[in-house]
Amino acid sequence: MHELQMNRFVPQRSNALLRYGAAPTFVIAALYLSFALRASFGNPAWFFFPAAVIAATWIGGKGPGGVAVVLSTLTVQYYFVPPIGSLGINRHDLPYFLIFVGCEALASWVISWRKDAEDAIRQARDQLELRVEERTTELKNANEALMVQMEEQRRTQEVLQMTRSELARVVRITTIGELTASIAHEVNQPLAAVVANADACVAWLYLKEPNLSEARAAAERAIQGATRASEVIARIRSLINKRPPERIPVQLNLLIEETSMLAASQAARNGVTISTVLDPNLPNVFGDRIQLQQVLFNLVTNAIEAMFSVIDRRRELKIRSQVQDSGQVVVSVQDTGIGVNAETMGRLFEPFFTTRAQGVGMGLPISRSIIEAHGGRLWADSILGQGTTFMFALQRAEAASA
Amino acid sequence: MTDKEAIVYVIDDEALIREGIQSLIRSIGLRAVPFSSASEFLQAKRTDAPSCLVLDVRMPGQSGLDLQRQLNDAGIFIPIIFITGHADIPMTVRAMKDGALEFLTKPVRGQDLLDAVQKAVDRDRESRKERAELNAMRLRFDSLTPRESEVLKLVVAGLLNKQIADQLGTSELTVKTHRARVMEKTGADSLAHLVRMAERLRAALPK
Repeated sequence: MHELQMNRFVPQRSNALLRYGAAPTFVIAALYLSFALRASFGNPAWFFFPAAVIAATWIGGKGPGGVAVVLSTLTVQYYFVPPIGSLGINRHDLPYFLIFVGCEALASWVISWRKDAEDAIRQARDQLELRVEERTTELKNANEALMVQMEEQRRTQEVLQMTRSELARVVRITTIGELTASIAHEVNQPLAAVVANADACVAWLYLKEPNLSEARAAAERAIQGATRASEVIARIRSLINKRPPERIPVQLNLLIEETSMLAASQAARNGVTISTVLDPNLPNVFGDRIQLQQVLFNLVTNAIEAMFSVIDRRRELKIRSQVQDSGQVVVSVQDTGIGVNAETMGRLFEPFFTTRAQGVGMGLPISRSIIEAHGGRLWADSILGQGTTFMFALQRAEAASA
Repeated sequence: MTDKEAIVYVIDDEALIREGIQSLIRSIGLRAVPFSSASEFLQAKRTDAPSCLVLDVRMPGQSGLDLQRQLNDAGIFIPIIFITGHADIPMTVRAMKDGALEFLTKPVRGQDLLDAVQKAVDRDRESRKERAELNAMRLRFDSLTPRESEVLKLVVAGLLNKQIADQLGTSELTVKTHRARVMEKTGADSLAHLVRMAERLRAALPK
C-alpha cells in the first residue's frame, strides 16, 4: 500500500506546474468564452466557470481544483456580479453567489474524489498486473528449475538402476562361485570319508583271513559319511528353497529371445529350427527373472528332445507370446514331436515321471511349481503324432501389482 | 613288504576321514596313530621307528603346510603325504619344494594312499638307517685323541708314514702306532674304507 502511494505521487509532483497551470488557463478560457458568447446566450458565465473548475480538477486534481474555484469565484464576482468591475457584492445577490460558489466547490470536490478513486484503482490494477507478471515469471523459472532437477533425478535414477542391476549380477556370480566352492568342500569331505572307509572295508575283506569286524566298522563309517553328504545336500536345497523369489517387472519377450539363443546350438545339433512369434506390445509380468528363464529353458529343452525320433517331417520349435483379452500374458512352446498319449499326459507333471532314458523327471514339476508360485498356470496340449504345446499364463505386471 | 614297527601318523580334523585312512593302513599291517590337529601331533611323544605323516592341508588352526615348515625348522625329518580337497598349483609347488613326498587329492584312492605310505615308510627306514650309521661312525671318530685325529687327517690326505712323521716331528714308528689305533677305533678294514668313511662324515657335517 505504501509502495502504491509512492508510485501515484511521483508523476504528480513532476508535472505540478502543468497541473496548477491548468487552473488559470481554464478560468481565463471560461472568461473569454463568457464574454464572447454573452450576446447570444444571456449570461453563460454560470455555465463556463463551473465547467472550468471541473476541467481543472479533472486534469490537475484537488489542489488546482481549489485554485480554479478561488480564481473563478473572484473573476465572476469582478466581471459578472453587480456591481460589475469591483469585488463588492449586492446584498440580495449574495445567496445566489454563495450557492454558485458552493456548487463549484462541491463539483470540484466530487470530481477530485472520483478521480483519486479512479487513479487509485488504476494504480492498484497496474500494480496487480505487475505482480501477477512477476509471480508468473517466478513460477515459470521455478518450474524450469524443477524440470531440470527432475531430468537430473531421472538420469541419476537410471544410472543408479544400471549400477544396481550390474552389482546384483556381479554379486550373484560371486555368490554362486563362493557357494559352489563351499558346496564342493562340504560335499567332498564326507565323500572322501566314504571312499577311504569303503577302501578300508574292501581291504579288510580281501585279507587271507578276512577281518569282518574291521570291515563292518569301516562300512558303517562309509554309511555315516554318505548320510552326512546327503544331509549337506538337503541343507543346501532348503537354503535355496527358503530364498524368497524376486518380484520385479520381467519382459518375457526378452527372456524368450535369450532362451532361444541359449538353446540355439543344442537345437542346431539336433536339426531343430527355433522360431519366435512375439507380441511387440506384450506387457511385463512380475516375477523372478531367473526362475522364469529356468521354466522357459526347461520347456525348450524338452521340446527339442521330444523331436529326437522325428524323421518324417521338419523338426520345428515355435515360441509364441501374446496377451489375452483377460489381460493374462500367455507364452507357448510348441514342438512337432511325437506327442504324448492321454495316459502320459495325465502323469506329465508328476515328480520323477520321465519318458527319457536319462531323464530325472523333475523339470516339469519344478517348472509348474515356479509358475504357480508366480500366481500363474502351466499346462500342455498334445496331438499324438503331431506334437505337443506347453503353455503358461501369468498376470500382467499392472494387474498383479494392483 | 610290510613292516610291523612302522608307524603312520594320520592328521585330519575330519574324524570319519581320519578313521577311514587309519583303518586302511592297519589293514596292511602298519600301525596308524591318529591326530585331529597339528598341535596335538606336536605335543605327542613319537616312537622311534620308521614312520611317515599323512597330513590334511586344510585344517582349522595350523594348516598342514604350516606344520611341514615347523617340522623342517625343528630338524624333524619325516616323509609327508599331503591330502587335500582341492589342490592349486602354488600350494602343490610349495609343499613339494619343502620336501613333501606326495600330494593326493580327496577323495583319495585307497591303493594310491597305501603305495605312497609304503614308499614313505621305506624311505624313512633308509634315511633312519643312514642317520644311525652316520651317528655310530661319528661316535667312533669322536673317540680319537687329538694326536690320532691329526694323523688321520694326514693319512686321508694321502701322505706316507715317513712324511707324516716329518710333519708332526715324531718318529715313523710312533706314526705307525697311531695309525693302527685309528684303524682299530674307527673299525676300518682298509685304508680305502677309512678314506670313504672320513669323506662321508665330512659330507654330512655341514648339515
